[in-house]
Amino acid sequence: MTAKEGSASLSAIQIDALREVGNIGAGNAAIALSQMVDKKVDLSVPKASLQPLVCIPELVGGPETPVAGVYLNIAGDCSGSILLLLEKESAESLAALMVPHDLAAGAEMGVVKRSALQETGSILSGAYLSALGQLTGLFFKPSVPGFAMDMAGAIMDYVLVDLGSAEEHVLVVETDFTVSGVKILGHLILFPDLGTLATILQRLGVPLE
Amino acid sequence: MAPSVLIVDDALFMRMMIKDILSKDGFEIVGEAENGVEAVKKYAELHPDLVTMDIVMPEMDGIEAVRNIIKIDPGARVLMCSAMGQQPLVVEALEAGAKDFIIKPFQPAKVVEAVRKALHGDGG
Repeated sequence: MTAKEGSASLSAIQIDALREVGNIGAGNAAIALSQMVDKKVDLSVPKASLQPLVCIPELVGGPETPVAGVYLNIAGDCSGSILLLLEKESAESLAALMVPHDLAAGAEMGVVKRSALQETGSILSGAYLSALGQLTGLFFKPSVPGFAMDMAGAIMDYVLVDLGSAEEHVLVVETDFTVSGVKILGHLILFPDLGTLATILQRLGVPLE
Repeated sequence: MAPSVLIVDDALFMRMMIKDILSKDGFEIVGEAENGVEAVKKYAELHPDLVTMDIVMPEMDGIEAVRNIIKIDPGARVLMCSAMGQQPLVVEALEAGAKDFIIKPFQPAKVVEAVRKALHGDGG
């Protein structure tokens, strides 16, 4: 792979440090998810990698793949954004696990499930940010999350417009959870703003040259 | 008389969950709000025994809402409900006058325990 200007020129040890953040974050997320659905959650070893921004839709099967996306901005010591992409079927299974029928009595089921998925995105992002915060000693303040069910390409278009000054490479953590025999496939993507990656790497003890 | 509770969270799902947990345990849910502005308004109107307060919300966040509620009623009992990863905000909320906090996602028993503790602690 050829390195493009700036962020792509990371060493193996730097990528490894970022991967470890992803792994610990995924562990936190599994615990959070398990408490939310009140069931045991099995987590396969998460795969964390740095990917070029333009490749994101391909991760979930191409720009036309229907997905559920939860997107939020990060402020605090470092800035950036987080996008959680869940395959549509995974999102629907997860929503069904989270919202018991009696809970939604009197309200429209679709609205409640949407809200449940949005909140899941918020809590899972929180779990990753918490890992990142603990490892770096930095504070990351999340915004109110936005939620959409759309094609992966459409969701990415929205994110790209919002991003402004982001790094060309993003941290992608692929997470497969199994809840009561149901597989939940998702990608959590961290978009660091320019400079954020350098700060994070420095705090992790593997500074950019 | 059942203690009255105002539930504040921007997520409908979370409001339903908290409402379900607390009403099953004998609390009376007197109102719900989906942002800080609404929370302050409803507090002034309803004067509930307890408020459960989310932190990250549109319009006005939960910390600002606690500050405003304490201005209206210095004895107000507010329990923060924050997602993991927002702990530094929790400290700020406690300084603003909140009684305690629980971390989302939460187990029903923990919510009830924290609510009881907040109700029977100081500040009445």
